[in-house]
Amino acid sequence: MTGTQILVPVRDSVTLRNTVAYAAESAVDAEPGAAPTLHFVYPVSERVTVGDPPEDATELLDRVRAWVAEDLGDNAASIGVETALVGPDEYLFNPGDYADVLGRYAAENDVETVVLDPEFNPSGMTPLLPPLETELERAGLAVEIAPVERPTRRFPLARRAGLGQFAVLFGWAYGFYLLVGGTLSTFDLATGAISGLVVAGLLWRISLSGFVDVSRLAGRLGRLVVYAPFLLWEIAKANFQIAYVVLHPDLPIDPEVVEFDAAVWSELPVTTLANSITLTPGTLTIDVSRRHFTVHALTDGAREDLLGGTLERAVRFVFYGRSAARIPSPAERDADSDDAERPTEGENA
Amino acid sequence: MTFISTALLTAAGAFVLVSLAVVYRLVRGPTMQDRVIAVNVIGTNTVIVIALVAAALGESSALDIAIVYALLNFLMSIAISKFTVERGGVL
Amino acid sequence: MTPREIAIALLAAGGVFFAFVAAVGILRLPDLYTRSHSASKSDTLAAGLSLAAVALTFGSDLSTIKALLLLLFMFITNPTAAHAIARAAAEEGIEPWTREEEVDE
Repeated sequence: MTGTQILVPVRDSVTLRNTVAYAAESAVDAEPGAAPTLHFVYPVSERVTVGDPPEDATELLDRVRAWVAEDLGDNAASIGVETALVGPDEYLFNPGDYADVLGRYAAENDVETVVLDPEFNPSGMTPLLPPLETELERAGLAVEIAPVERPTRRFPLARRAGLGQFAVLFGWAYGFYLLVGGTLSTFDLATGAISGLVVAGLLWRISLSGFVDVSRLAGRLGRLVVYAPFLLWEIAKANFQIAYVVLHPDLPIDPEVVEFDAAVWSELPVTTLANSITLTPGTLTIDVSRRHFTVHALTDGAREDLLGGTLERAVRFVFYGRSAARIPSPAERDADSDDAERPTEGENA
Repeated sequence: MTFISTALLTAAGAFVLVSLAVVYRLVRGPTMQDRVIAVNVIGTNTVIVIALVAAALGESSALDIAIVYALLNFLMSIAISKFTVERGGVL
Repeated sequence: MTPREIAIALLAAGGVFFAFVAAVGILRLPDLYTRSHSASKSDTLAAGLSLAAVALTFGSDLSTIKALLLLLFMFITNPTAAHAIARAAAEEGIEPWTREEEVDE
């Protein structure tokens, strides 16, 4: 029954419709008499779907069913269609996790072929597909990426936003306008308000996401004031190291790429950490996908500093307070490989 | 000409010389990204030169130009990086 | 010379020094990732020091705030730009230079 059980992981995306059509087509083209079945599977991840209740999932699966029925047309009787939610009780985080739940489902249902939506990207903004493909292939599945048109925009720019975002953005734009203008004359106040409204009106659904409540923000800002001198000190140190290395006649560098999972969550802390890493001793963030950092370290010492986790701890201190700062450093976390985050497989290489 | 403006103008001149040296990397490459780095550094230096000259001559409105140039410089790096990665999604 | 003038001169000199380091790094280092190190760190600090000198020169008026704003902006955007460039390179499959390959060069 090769290739007759087809698994399609679904998530809302611009190319999902065409992927479903492609999967339906391949099912129709399968060898006659093989009774092909299409499995549409929605991986649910608690962490990612905080603002994304399961109704979305069921609704999406219903929509997929409707599409398939339409695509199959006369063949509908001979082709089975299954829909399922997988992984609702797990934290799906990296491609390995997704490959894991999908692989388990595949094993239970004798699935051998996986058709992937090229825009399948449940973890948000960072590309998940290439590693997921590799992981699935390692699990012994035939993986095919649906050959559908991929629009240039990879994810919808606009997100859900409320009046709060609008007000904050307007405030920023207005404040900046007045600051650069330098006067508080009626003309400036009026033109500033108009410009602020235009900026906020255009961008309020784009530039801010999931704005936090004010009290938490105040705490963060306070701790940020503590963090800034520390960061400045680290930057100063970094620069003298770089200056030494660069001006040294022998160029004593030993660059290497290090990957690790940082224990920070959500966009802003990750961004802060990534930029801090770039600014401090001999390390440069190359890629961040969700929490997985790929860092280029210029020297051996820089690598050890990074995995020592001082910076990471500092960023956690800023965003989550004192208690979170005590989470073990990346090196220690790597040591006990039975990390709670990844109960099954070992660390990815 | 006061001591401060002399010092600042000297610094600005040094920044220009340093930027000229970076032009070598811009010409040599070898990869697109090397050139982007070089342009980015030259752009940053240009912003600094504008700011230094503004301070030396007491011409505070030139600082606005520096701000705009800094914005453009950042956008340039991001745009080129995004463009060279065929699939986009750099940020 | 007042202490303020000395501070300004020192900041500007520091800025020039690190800009020099950045340029030397960009010219000397072996591949674009390492060059990007020197571009992101040294040049950011050079910008920071020079803009601090500028802010100090303007004393305490609106221009100081603008200079500080510019400084903050530099500190946020420079690493981000370096990151974007490095990532673009990584996605294009450019391999980082390592010690062992030195023999081939």
